[in-house]
Amino acid sequence: MTPLRLLERLLQLVPVLLGISVIVFAMMALTPGDPVQIMLGDSLANEAQKESLRRDMGLDLPVMERFVRFLGNAVTGNFGLSFFHRRPVGEIILERLPATIELTLVSLVIAILVAIPLGVIAAVRRDSLLDRLATVGSMLGVSMPGFWFGILLILLFAVQLHWLPVSGRIGFGQEVPAVTRFVLVDALIAGRLDSFLDALRHILLPAVTLGLGMAALLMRVTRTAMVEALAQDYVVFAEAKGLSRARVIGRHALKNALIPTVTVAAIETGSLLGGNMIVETVFGWPGLGRLVVEAIFTRNYPLVQAAVLLYAVTYVLLNFVADLLYSVLNPKVRL
Amino acid sequence: MNASLLSIRGLRTSFPTRRGLVQAVDGVDLDVRPGECLGVVGESGSGKSVTFLSVLGLVRPPGRVEADAIGFLGRDLSRLSPSEMRAVRGREIAVTMQDALTALNPSFTVETQIVETIEAHDPSVGRKAARTRAIEMLRLVGIPDAERRLSAYPHQFSGGMRQRVMVAIALACRPKLLIADEPTTALDVTIQSQVLDLIDDMRATLGMSVVLITHDLGIVAERCERVAVMYAGQVVETGPTRQVVETPVHPYTRGLLRSMPRLSHLDAPLLPIDGQVPDPTRLPEGCRFQPRCPQAIEECLQPIRLRPVSPARAARCVLAGAEP
Repeated sequence: MTPLRLLERLLQLVPVLLGISVIVFAMMALTPGDPVQIMLGDSLANEAQKESLRRDMGLDLPVMERFVRFLGNAVTGNFGLSFFHRRPVGEIILERLPATIELTLVSLVIAILVAIPLGVIAAVRRDSLLDRLATVGSMLGVSMPGFWFGILLILLFAVQLHWLPVSGRIGFGQEVPAVTRFVLVDALIAGRLDSFLDALRHILLPAVTLGLGMAALLMRVTRTAMVEALAQDYVVFAEAKGLSRARVIGRHALKNALIPTVTVAAIETGSLLGGNMIVETVFGWPGLGRLVVEAIFTRNYPLVQAAVLLYAVTYVLLNFVADLLYSVLNPKVRL
Repeated sequence: MNASLLSIRGLRTSFPTRRGLVQAVDGVDLDVRPGECLGVVGESGSGKSVTFLSVLGLVRPPGRVEADAIGFLGRDLSRLSPSEMRAVRGREIAVTMQDALTALNPSFTVETQIVETIEAHDPSVGRKAARTRAIEMLRLVGIPDAERRLSAYPHQFSGGMRQRVMVAIALACRPKLLIADEPTTALDVTIQSQVLDLIDDMRATLGMSVVLITHDLGIVAERCERVAVMYAGQVVETGPTRQVVETPVHPYTRGLLRSMPRLSHLDAPLLPIDGQVPDPTRLPEGCRFQPRCPQAIEECLQPIRLRPVSPARAARCVLAGAEP
């Protein structure tokens, strides 16, 4: 793909993002109740004080003007002050986001490492015992709620066996200076192998919880796509050329079968980045999910608004990445 | 009689299905001689493609292949291990398929698909040498601007060029035998003869033998020295093409010829063969063609072997030898 095409495709994202901003803004503007009243709560502020706060927050301006200001601020990363923390929302989110991204990436790696080999083997050995077991396993994985599976893992590996910590991101005394805010990376930068291993032990259970849930779905998709790919003429032709079985399956069939897998992985990654509130809460993981849950309970609108916008943008960008990957996997796909 | 390059004896291939066992190939004997073009003719489902997939060990489970012997250059292919068989496939016996659009992998460049074949059979060849050989092959099959086209994907070629690319890949290791499975079915008439000419040229250039699998007796009459006619998993008639076409012995062969339009007799009516191809799970007793045969007699209900008609010809019919 040419750089020009890439730019064109990126520009196509602009209207989508604009639409999302309208929705997020409208969500706030249409929420019943006076934000000022909510902020001040039961305090005995008089009308003049309320009026001045309203002016401070720009709430006295016409809706269109407020939207333009909101948009301008959003583009520059300014989402206002968190009601609760009294600090810029952007700053708070940036503190928490790396933990969520780190957890998501490790989960994604686990999901891919489990799902793709299993899906391929199940497709190659169709109707074998392994295929049946994998099918049952993936049904369980898809239908089992993440929080419940997470609690089971905690009970077994943390409470019973004491192999792994119950919650948190890193043990007491193992903290490393924040450089990237990805603890695993920061530990390596600091040259602290002990901290790295400790962080790994902490991330293992939540990542397995999320990763296996995702693997269940990915495996189904990979298996179906592989079964289809293996029935194609190009697989017979590849075998007739005298290629090894590994190459026929692992390259000729798999490269074509990965397209639906990539789609589902992108969607699932999007929902992991945004929707793992429950699992983060179960494992006491200091990520975005927990922050948003807290913000919703405390009616911290600027924070919720910024988070929703962030989720939406993440989703759009992940879909963009998936499209890019299609064109790599299948040269017929032109963006 | 010439020594055969490939000599198939008693080949049987079956597939279990929900409706019962399908005997797709049932006791096929065939010979391919060095340098010749053998035409294998039959309707869809007659077992002509499965016969050669079986020879190459490309029938997948639950399909079952049995053979008394499959002789090829002093070896018995039916007794080779999977890895020995892999060394034969693509290197000594190559295949082209009906439609290059589906046979070529859409996700890989032509270069990858040729080079991997060369590397699979000659691991010591360097990347550069393999590339050079790939360019040579593309030139040989008549792809213009071969060096630049090497990095193209299959969908970027026209139908005829794509078919040439497939031939180039199949012949990249200079095989002794090419099995061309319906090479023209997916093509326009004008391109059909180009592809057949190409296969003829390659046969002469590389000194290989060709098995041309087709349902078109006309193509066989034009291009092949010998022909084998298949019906319901069996060879029903075999011999030099000219003799078989001019004086067919088996009633099925005669029926095929009568149902074919001829330029010299455009006003002659086309006579389809009455009845239908038998259900492969419930094959008729004795001669498989007997329920449709206008000359069927009592004896046809007994099992019938391929009988010699003349030194070069044989037919699976009780009347064989009785007629000229």
